[in-house]
Amino acid sequence: MGAELMSVNNLSSLSSQPVAEHRGESESPSRLAEFRRYLRVFLTFARNSLIRDMTFRADFIFHCISSVAWTAMNVGFYVLVFRFTSMIGQDTGWGRDEFFLFLATVWFINSLVQAFFMPNANEFSELIRTGGLDFALLKPIDTQFLISFRRIEWSAMSNFVVGLLIAGVSLHSMATRPESPVFPSLMSWILYPFFVGCGVAIMYSIMICLAATSVWLGRNQSLYDFWFYITNFSRYPMEIYDTPLGRPLLGLFTLVIPVLVVVNVPARILAKPLNPRADWEWLLAAWAVIATVLCVAFSRWLFRLSLKSYRSASS
Amino acid sequence: MPIIEVRELTKYYRVHRKREGLGASFRGLFRREYTEVQAVKGINLTVEAGEFVAFLGPNGAGKTTTLKLLSGVINPTGGTATVMGYVPWERRNEYRRRFALVMGQKNQLWWDLPAQESYRLHQQIYGIPDDRFRHTLDELTDLLDVTKLLGQPVRELSLGERMKMELIAALLHSPEVLFLDEPTIGLDVIAQHTIQQFLRHYQQERGTTILLTSHYMKDVAALCQRVVIVAGGLVQYDGSLAGIVDQFSGKKIVTLQFAVGVRPDDLARHGTVLETQWPRVKLGITRADVPRVLAETLRDYAIEDVSVEDPPLEEVIADLFHQVS
Amino acid sequence: MSGTTVPLPPIGFADRVRTWWVICRTALAERMAYRGDFALGTLMRFLPIITQIFLWGAIFDAIAETSPGDGTPKRIGGFDLAEMVAYFLLTMIARAFSSMPGLASGIAGQVRQGEIKKYLIQPIDLIAFLLLSRVAHKLAYYAVAIGPFALVFFLCRDYFTAGFPPPHVMVAFIASLMMGFLIGFFLEAAIGLISFWMLEINSLVLIFMLFSFFLSGHMFPLSLLPEPIGWYVNLLPLKYLAYFPAAIFLRKIPDDELMTELLIEAAWLVFFVILCRWMYSRGVRRYSGYGG
Repeated sequence: MGAELMSVNNLSSLSSQPVAEHRGESESPSRLAEFRRYLRVFLTFARNSLIRDMTFRADFIFHCISSVAWTAMNVGFYVLVFRFTSMIGQDTGWGRDEFFLFLATVWFINSLVQAFFMPNANEFSELIRTGGLDFALLKPIDTQFLISFRRIEWSAMSNFVVGLLIAGVSLHSMATRPESPVFPSLMSWILYPFFVGCGVAIMYSIMICLAATSVWLGRNQSLYDFWFYITNFSRYPMEIYDTPLGRPLLGLFTLVIPVLVVVNVPARILAKPLNPRADWEWLLAAWAVIATVLCVAFSRWLFRLSLKSYRSASS
Repeated sequence: MPIIEVRELTKYYRVHRKREGLGASFRGLFRREYTEVQAVKGINLTVEAGEFVAFLGPNGAGKTTTLKLLSGVINPTGGTATVMGYVPWERRNEYRRRFALVMGQKNQLWWDLPAQESYRLHQQIYGIPDDRFRHTLDELTDLLDVTKLLGQPVRELSLGERMKMELIAALLHSPEVLFLDEPTIGLDVIAQHTIQQFLRHYQQERGTTILLTSHYMKDVAALCQRVVIVAGGLVQYDGSLAGIVDQFSGKKIVTLQFAVGVRPDDLARHGTVLETQWPRVKLGITRADVPRVLAETLRDYAIEDVSVEDPPLEEVIADLFHQVS
Repeated sequence: MSGTTVPLPPIGFADRVRTWWVICRTALAERMAYRGDFALGTLMRFLPIITQIFLWGAIFDAIAETSPGDGTPKRIGGFDLAEMVAYFLLTMIARAFSSMPGLASGIAGQVRQGEIKKYLIQPIDLIAFLLLSRVAHKLAYYAVAIGPFALVFFLCRDYFTAGFPPPHVMVAFIASLMMGFLIGFFLEAAIGLISFWMLEINSLVLIFMLFSFFLSGHMFPLSLLPEPIGWYVNLLPLKYLAYFPAAIFLRKIPDDELMTELLIEAAWLVFFVILCRWMYSRGVRRYSGYGG
């Protein structure tokens, strides 16, 4: 305690640097400098999350194991389904190999969303409830950026690896099967990651929108449930909705809440030969790009609106 | 030009009114009733650069709300405010790089990580150059004597240590304006004292403009030349600490020590009997009456000792809060 | 000390009922406070079913095409498409009874944060208290959910091709739902009570949920499973959480086996009640042994 006071008295050593000195230099930082600042912040987030995960190593490993087990059960279920049928839907082309490629795409997108955005969106609701959002609002950086990337759940990436495994097996099986083998073309390989990226962006936007509603709805602990219910529609080839009863849903989840394009567009590009394609498929791919832009813009608008309604829970 | 200018600032909340009982809860499911809470009803304030101002007030007086408005965390219902020429709730990056808010009841450091990792994140977010960052961090940790704790996960730190870490986080970018909301809440006397000392010296060295809210009169007495009393969402007083007693208390406390065996029972006619501990009696007496009462009592009774004091500051303020609310 | 303290009167049955009622009411009021989540949650709960219906529709379509038969509906694991849809709707009812969100992790939280002391000091029993709160929560849920449920079942009435089952099956169905609720409660409470021995049980709860999702029949009718896996899964008590009540309603359990099956379920229930009580008393002894 004595030492504490001593050191406080040392304060005169605190160099009183001219306060104004560093102010000027950052008044209007160049776009590149800003980009590098955001990148550095992101990398620090990633690093800190990794340090945190490594301090709770048992938890980390367990999460990996349980998500792999979850995948295994899902794969088991679809293997079971394909014991009874050779295709999902009549003449849709979603045979076993194609469907598992579809499943791998679901896994890629979900693992990316879960690793990067899920923990943050959950925390966002919590921050609103507890008033912890105050600190985020104080920082001289875009609040949505700060909120969206704060934590990264590295264990969710184990699902990405499992997705790679599923994709590898089904691609191999597709390429080596006796009847109508398929090798994705170079163009498919380029377009696939691009549309997976679009899918992730759409999912992210929906999640931010859901999280932002907690400003108005109060407690939002079932965010994960809502998320699951809505994105559940993206988990199957869109052809299954192509029935008289399903078409309204098909329209709703393609045009209004575009979760159907999230997986369908990239999976289709890889699972089926690029040519020949029906016109509607090209349109769908174009729509996926437009929908991505619209979704991100909308989520940003809603996020800002929610900040306006935020009323900092006092202590 | 003043560094902080606040004109007629107001903030109203709509609060969902919860009703007791099952039936009411059911009804609440379908129709909600709201009440309006007027947290800040029209605050006017001017602060010059380099001032250290204390906000005093009972719970719910609007102190914290005012600080949050000035930090741009919440938007006001009406009125204007500028800090360093910026409108806080526009949340411009240039503004946010130049001030800091510390809340004693909330923590912004990553709970599971050592504080230094959070500091590095701050460095990136505020864009502090490396050498400058290291220099500032070294000085601050040295001054608060926490260099050894930098590598420990924050959750393992004591409350006092954590508060020091929070302060460092807020000061890393050398803010020109600092808002402190209950920085010593829940701390023991020693930790409170350390933080007071630190703040005073830091403010003297840097000339930082500081607004502080606190429940502890000690904080205020030790640090601030200027006190703003907020109650009921309005500024009730703005001036020096000593001025409060003059303005709000018309009373003096007169202590009479009687000779052995003298026990008069008619003292209440002079003023309020505050405390009776024979042979000593404390009386609360209107200021103007003091000379007369002293003359009369000294004339009527055998008295060994007399003292006349101002009432304690805490009591004056407590009275004041009581009157307002 | 003087003898001014009058001993409290003994707690009679009426007092106990009054206590239960207060617990129920508090839990109900707590539930009702969050109406936004509540209304939306109930609505959303039906969404996954829709995907399931379309998925199975597509699968049955594909089968019908590849093996055209005599015009009778195709069956998978003994279910035709209509029954499959009815099955998923019925498991929704079963899960509405047997799912216990947050129970195990709630118990673990109370043990970890020492709140369990409250139950050692006050004259209430943790398990009884939790059971009552759960009943209240469920009642509140049904009060709101009965609307959407009725609507969905009415809209989907054509899938119930066999109509209402005869009274004795109905009785068995309701009995299986009630027991399903209790098995779900005591099973998950037992998992929560493990926290007396290991503090971090979230992982365990997660694993349980995972298995329960697939092996209770929530994801697909258990009769789809190939032998011998199906035989083993049928030995587990998880099927009572979803598959069993739905199978009763759809008359997939032959009448002569119905009674035996219900008795086996009751035996499981007794087992879990005893397990819970035993774990709780051992756990409390261990806990107070440590001195909290």
